[in-house]
Amino acid sequence: MTANGIPLGDVLLASGALFALGLAGALMRRNAISIFLAIELMMNSANLAILGYASTLQSVEGQIVVFFVIAIAAAEAAVGLAIFVAMFRHTETIDVNRINLLKW
Amino acid sequence: MTARLVFDVAAGLAILFAAVMVVHRHPVKSVLALVVSFFALSVAYVMLSAPLIAALQVIVYAGAILVLFLFVLMLLNVPEEVRQKSGRPIHHTLSALAIVVFAAVLLGALRAHGATNAAPSTSPLTGEVAPVARLLFSEHLLSFEALSILLLAALVGAFALARREGRT
Repeated sequence: MTANGIPLGDVLLASGALFALGLAGALMRRNAISIFLAIELMMNSANLAILGYASTLQSVEGQIVVFFVIAIAAAEAAVGLAIFVAMFRHTETIDVNRINLLKW
Repeated sequence: MTARLVFDVAAGLAILFAAVMVVHRHPVKSVLALVVSFFALSVAYVMLSAPLIAALQVIVYAGAILVLFLFVLMLLNVPEEVRQKSGRPIHHTLSALAIVVFAAVLLGALRAHGATNAAPSTSPLTGEVAPVARLLFSEHLLSFEALSILLLAALVGAFALARREGRT
């Protein structure tokens, strides 16, 4: 039971559903940016679970962890998208099936 | 009870729009669906008494990161994904299997552990920002400063990567 009377089970169920959807997106899409979006969704589902537990344990540490996750996600998104732009310049595509230079 | 209702509706909306995002083949539409999903998640964060994180979710995630995605998508002019006719069916089967197995493991872990071993601490969580800031700028000050260096490095790295070669 969290601080506001929301059962932790609800929070974890929502988090798990979001993570499974993110995993599905990351596995199904072929466009690199869509895969990246699905990874962002998975990170958010982890944030939701952390906040659910933090609220249950009446702790503010969880909010600090989520704060760091959000900041690192911002850095990761900036660098990842720059990599996609550089990749697009070289190969004219960001379809992950057609970027197979390192594939045996 | 009201809190639970609001949380469940917000979480349901977040899941619904996340599903829309996964299903859509047009990347711009899936980014817009994810924006709605993140707004719903920020409502859920408020209900979990984390208003600071909810504000950050709207400002940083929905406001900055997803706009960056949208900007790059429009810069690169990414086309709609065409349905693959002659794809390897083993890939789809394995993807579906992985998702089903993962969901089963998740539900099993949820039933096994759930909220049973959660002991409340002494300081009550009121949802104020001040305790978070006090902890962030005392105990986690070093991590906070390291984070600012990381963001600077990411900024320089992104600039160096996306810069056009041969022109300064």
